[in-house]
Amino acid sequence: MSTVIQEPSVDVVCLGVGFMSGVVATELALAGKKVVGITKGPYWDYVNDYSTTKYDEWGVGLGRKYDHPLPLQSTTIRNNSSQFALPVRRYTMPIQYHALGHGVGGAAQHYGGGMGRQGPWGYQMESLTASAYGSGFLSSINPQDDTHDWPLTYAQYEPYYVAWEEAHAICGNYNGSPTNSPSDMNYPWMSTNYRLPPHPLTPLGQLFQSTVQGMTAPNGQPYHPFPTVSALASQPYTNQYGVTVNPCVYEGYCGGLCDYACETGAKSNAAYRTIPAAIKSGNFTLVTNAYIFRLELSPSGDQVIAANYYDAHGNIHRQPGTVFFNGMWGYNMIRLMLLSGLGTPYIYNSGLGTGTGTVGRGLTNGYTPYRGTNVTGTVNIGGNSYPAGNGSGGGMAVYDLMDDNFIHSNISPPFIGGGLVSAGGYLGSGPGNITFAGGVSGPSSANPNGSMGSAFKATQQNKYLPTKQTVGATPFAPDLPTLMNYCDLDPHYTDAYGDPVSRLTYDWTPNTYNGAAYLVNQIKTILDQMGATNVTVGSTVAPYSAHNDWWGHHLRGGLRIGTDPNAGTPTAWAALSGYNQLYLTPTTGVNYFAAGEITNTTGNNATAGTHVAGPQSYRAAEGIKLYLQHVASQGINYLAS
Amino acid sequence: MPALVVPNRSKPLNIPILESRVPKPEDLVVLSKPLLEATIKIGNLLNDCSAKWALGGDIGEILNGVNVQPDHITILTNAEGCPEIGKKLAEFQVETSRLVERQIRRNAEIGPKPLPVKIRSYESRFNFDGQRLDVHGDLRIKVGEWEWGDPLDFEPEYVYVVGVKVPVVPLKLKTELYLGLGWMDRVRKINEATARRHHKIG
Repeated sequence: MSTVIQEPSVDVVCLGVGFMSGVVATELALAGKKVVGITKGPYWDYVNDYSTTKYDEWGVGLGRKYDHPLPLQSTTIRNNSSQFALPVRRYTMPIQYHALGHGVGGAAQHYGGGMGRQGPWGYQMESLTASAYGSGFLSSINPQDDTHDWPLTYAQYEPYYVAWEEAHAICGNYNGSPTNSPSDMNYPWMSTNYRLPPHPLTPLGQLFQSTVQGMTAPNGQPYHPFPTVSALASQPYTNQYGVTVNPCVYEGYCGGLCDYACETGAKSNAAYRTIPAAIKSGNFTLVTNAYIFRLELSPSGDQVIAANYYDAHGNIHRQPGTVFFNGMWGYNMIRLMLLSGLGTPYIYNSGLGTGTGTVGRGLTNGYTPYRGTNVTGTVNIGGNSYPAGNGSGGGMAVYDLMDDNFIHSNISPPFIGGGLVSAGGYLGSGPGNITFAGGVSGPSSANPNGSMGSAFKATQQNKYLPTKQTVGATPFAPDLPTLMNYCDLDPHYTDAYGDPVSRLTYDWTPNTYNGAAYLVNQIKTILDQMGATNVTVGSTVAPYSAHNDWWGHHLRGGLRIGTDPNAGTPTAWAALSGYNQLYLTPTTGVNYFAAGEITNTTGNNATAGTHVAGPQSYRAAEGIKLYLQHVASQGINYLAS
Repeated sequence: MPALVVPNRSKPLNIPILESRVPKPEDLVVLSKPLLEATIKIGNLLNDCSAKWALGGDIGEILNGVNVQPDHITILTNAEGCPEIGKKLAEFQVETSRLVERQIRRNAEIGPKPLPVKIRSYESRFNFDGQRLDVHGDLRIKVGEWEWGDPLDFEPEYVYVVGVKVPVVPLKLKTELYLGLGWMDRVRKINEATARRHHKIG
């Protein structure tokens, strides 16, 4: 006998309730549509859940009490299609898997808050590269390159960027005029600045700024430093939905071991920016602790008619709706589509080096290559350089070593793109500042003090109040999509309910390493000019090929929206071809590749892909409104019987 | 690829369930859209106002995260601010500035019996697409038969409303006022907001 619980049908069903679903749910609820948001974790109340409990380092760092429960669902990882993929069975470093998130707000509950728009070049990388360096340039870097342009240009996306930044209190360039128009050429393609001023600069940020201001970039122009872009509110803020936002209090206790949990709600995520307005509207129902396991298709197979999920007690619910928006973490979205028979699965033919299908195609990474080329040095700040505060902001960055802002034609080995170079971010911001290198562990031969206990704390005392700081970078150029990297269903391992988990096949690609070799020397020059001593450049390593179970937190892509119907979804509305009801916005880059993930090299900007995905959620919300309008005008009943 | 079979039976798991405190609508601090839009418009129009002014009343509190529901906008300023604001917002003005003395609806609750509260200020009124704006210059307060207080003075704090920087009356001053009037429910609301903001006590 069936025990399926039937839920009443609604206009829009949001799958997952992170950044992207937050926008869609709020936009549609405020437009008078009935919306349900379903998420596998709880609603995190930052006052009660974080403010008083995040100082529990054991519970947070080892017990992983804020994190996605691996016994519920894990993933498997391998470097190439000939390997056997092994599952992630445990957390082995402080930020591993935080990015997957668990509950309302999703991965954004546990990120550093580094943000920044993708400029025009990133949206048209394929065509602009071909135009500048010839059509064979990308394949000369990697014969299996699979890079394509986005379906829209930056100019088309910009209004959505503005809306997304207004909603999430993004800080950066801000000149205070009523129009807040760009006051310099640091963002030559931005028609408006960010809505909040930047965070106060750290001493290291000031040193970086003053240094590069007197230097010439590889393109022969002066460097153009600008404040790092942050998703942590620098001031009290109210967004366009009327949701009020607390500012960062710079307490300096929100780094790795605290899971980046923000106890004042200053760090942007859906739970404290968009979802409150949706709840307040009376048109939104939030379903927490609910694990979505299948999308149900119509008998003809061309419509999604319901989402099926387990509640916390294991009961099955069936949630019908008119439109389904998938805002899950990137490869969870792919997995759900594969489990549901939705779309054409990507199949890689290792013998031919070719691939067919779209779902799972083009997995990329927005994170520092493991054991990549690096440069380090010691900078004398000349005073207290304690970078108290949050995981982003406080630093300065330059755009001049990014995108195609310098000539790539005579560089060997070849690469395209570059890196956003920055320095001086606050605690938790990564290289150049204090980090919990080594994670939570007991004493070992490599780390005799371990990373907890009195001996460890004694070593940290000097780290927090230094007059000298070790700064370093492990730069890399954008990880371009290749036919070899993809996501599919694992044939061996299952989740707690018996469904296959996702299998990630990934290794870093030539563009990342080739770019690193060039960028590391540019950064070395900057460090030298900053007066750094003991500047050392590490050697380039070959692509890393061993099981490495902490990759998952910044792998992205795997589902293209593009103009090629054979390789991506051919609509500019982000709807999957043939399934007009399913609006897709992966949480870490709706794009097929990671052009938006041109990660910076001396700070933490690995979450900037979220900034690039954000506009897609507004685009999708607009498309859903049009779709619902169409349904109403045509009198079509798409609801399940 | 065909979908995997959809199960139709429940399957309890032995995985801890995290408590989920989904907020009720009344727990959330959200400013209504009409007032939000009017506030942005006012902030832009008074961007270069030389006189001291700030958003007061409930609107000033909700923009600082206090869970109140304003039904209009209030600006506090000094005597010089009234004509300047009147000039900058002239097209929205419905009542020109004049000295007004009146008793407010709520009494002071500081003794064995309630005491009436009077305010006196140079008051003008504006209308922004149906949203009321009251401007008070040199606001004074009188409780019961006590003497009139000095004109309310303050150093504004600043908040950002969709990117527009606007001054607000500090929560610390509001707390002192409410304590003086014995409005402990309002003090508690501010305390709740400042606790959510952590170290940033108003």
